[in-house]
Amino acid sequence: MFEMLLIEGLAIGACYGLFGVAVAIVYKTSDVVNFAQGEMGMVATFVAYHILTVYNFPFWIAFPATMVFAILLGMAIEFCFLRPAKNPTVLGLLIITLGVEMLLMGLAGWKWGAEQKDFPFLLSVYKTHEILPGLALNEWTIGVFILSIVIMILLFLFFRYSKLGIAMRATQQNVNAAKIMGIKVERVFSITWAMSSLIGAVAAMFFAARSVLDPNFMMEPFMRAFAAAVLGGLTSIPGVVIGGLILGIIENFFGYAWPEWKPIVAFVVIILIITIRPSGLFAKHYIKKV
Amino acid sequence: MKKVVIASMIVCAVFVCSLLVYAAAKPGFDDKEIRIAQWGPQTGPAAPWGSVARGSGLLFQMVNDEGGIHGRKIKYFIRDDQYNPAQTKAVVKELVEREGIFAFVGGVGAACGMAVKDYLAQNKIVWVAPSTAIDEYVFPVNPYIFAIYPLYDDEASILTKYAVEKLKAKKIAFFYQNDTYGKSGLKGCKSRMKALRMKLVEEISVEPGEKDLSSQMLRLKNSGADVVIMWVNPTSAAIALKTCSTIGFKPQWISSDTLSDYPLMNKITGGLWEGVITGMFGLATSSNDPRMIKYREAAKKYAPEERFGTFYTAGAMYAEPLVDALKRVGPKLSTEAFIKQLNATKNFQGIGPLINWSPKVHQGTDSIQITKCGPNSSYITLQDWTKNELATWKKK
Repeated sequence: MFEMLLIEGLAIGACYGLFGVAVAIVYKTSDVVNFAQGEMGMVATFVAYHILTVYNFPFWIAFPATMVFAILLGMAIEFCFLRPAKNPTVLGLLIITLGVEMLLMGLAGWKWGAEQKDFPFLLSVYKTHEILPGLALNEWTIGVFILSIVIMILLFLFFRYSKLGIAMRATQQNVNAAKIMGIKVERVFSITWAMSSLIGAVAAMFFAARSVLDPNFMMEPFMRAFAAAVLGGLTSIPGVVIGGLILGIIENFFGYAWPEWKPIVAFVVIILIITIRPSGLFAKHYIKKV
Repeated sequence: MKKVVIASMIVCAVFVCSLLVYAAAKPGFDDKEIRIAQWGPQTGPAAPWGSVARGSGLLFQMVNDEGGIHGRKIKYFIRDDQYNPAQTKAVVKELVEREGIFAFVGGVGAACGMAVKDYLAQNKIVWVAPSTAIDEYVFPVNPYIFAIYPLYDDEASILTKYAVEKLKAKKIAFFYQNDTYGKSGLKGCKSRMKALRMKLVEEISVEPGEKDLSSQMLRLKNSGADVVIMWVNPTSAAIALKTCSTIGFKPQWISSDTLSDYPLMNKITGGLWEGVITGMFGLATSSNDPRMIKYREAAKKYAPEERFGTFYTAGAMYAEPLVDALKRVGPKLSTEAFIKQLNATKNFQGIGPLINWSPKVHQGTDSIQITKCGPNSSYITLQDWTKNELATWKKK
């Protein structure tokens, strides 16, 4: 029972972490928490569902097509809603993302209806493989472990060593200085939103495969992924993933011992940790000076 | 300054006058029509239940096509409240004060109904067959509310008895939503278990929005339960079954009537719903009962785009006793005469259970059928209409 709780906790935690990374990427460049992240993933998942069930295309076509859609969706939202804002404050941008969230939810309800749907995902939650003697994992769990590790490493390398990644970090630290240094910050923001939307869409598909697909299905996972990101540290990509894993494990073990406390116990732990380390467990604590 | 004050006074006067105009309820009928209304989520998270309101509309359309009731046609209003009690209040007020409503029927949502229950009573508007089972609607008797939805504790009690006596269950666990709905089911199950001198091996709650139920399901598995009774929403039920499938836990699942839309449940669980036993307080949509056949044919004619599911037919079922009482009232229609006829409803049989109302008891039934989800989402009847002999409200 202990191993099963641990594996299930790590699996859902990896999914939280993956989605938390999508939230963290936008935050890393613009200091904005994108409250529309869950609904962006939801709409992308509905697009995949539509391609799979209405057009009857196989998954290997539906998946890349959805990824392209997710990229365009992220760029479009940044271009249509965030960019036109004149001298925006962080609070102003945050309110805009809340508006986008409502808009996307309404759009999905209008187009696909509110009735729950089963999302036909490539990786089954029923088929198991014995990866080590005595340790059998289902395809979904294997997939989410591999994907979150790969994305974490790629993003870590991207932000640490690539020109674009460094430009993104520079933009977050000081937009004006970045402009002076020749960084096209608008392009940076656009790419950031595209990347975030892409990763969020992948994570949302994993969530949908485990639950059901409807216009509200990402509301709760978003809150937990955001909490996981805050726990790990919003500016640290590996920290966000580890935060997700910690959250998943805490929830599962407490949920087993005291089921009625499961929805809140993780948040209580997070509040305690944030009180001690305001930037999260793994992020460096910066103090902006005038 | 003087002009501003005068202008403000005019605006205030107009506002007060408009309030006076809309403060009183308009009469709900005239010589040509009877105005009936229902709120329901046509958009938003609970929109799948919106078909209840449209289902009532099917019966009203059939009645109107047959000439109406004593020369009056039914004018039916549906308002979208998005499953939001504040919105329910707004739409009900608008309907009562602007359109003039004679009676409400159905009405999805416990909180939505609770938000307007007193307002309707104050305005002496009858509300027939609320689409949820809440003790507060009928205990103590509200002269304007007539319920037909079996109470959740009655339903859970009957299902528990079936599990023990027919399925020979030795270890029963209860998995419930942490709200009035789930707790009512738990209460009914426990009262039956007490009567049978048994105890639940596990009782586990879930918050309605939770998407990861692995720890709860592992705990159920560890309890060794051979039957798990669940009182949750469709999403939680689907996640529970999927999770149990991954952890290799296969008990006999039993659920309330709220999850009896087998085609929907099978669709969202990827076929895992087959074999699940549920309560049913309306005939299956595939039933060959002449009344159901009539509705099926009418739905093809009036609403070909509508899925003929259990929520849709439930809407028609809620409207049946209302139409019956209106017919019995005769041409001299009044709210008092309508209430008198509703109170005189004895052994009314529509596509639901037998309904009985009296001035002292407005809970119309405590009966359910027990069915099982068969291949291709078919309905297999396991037990015909069954009453809860332990129902405490009948003994008062």
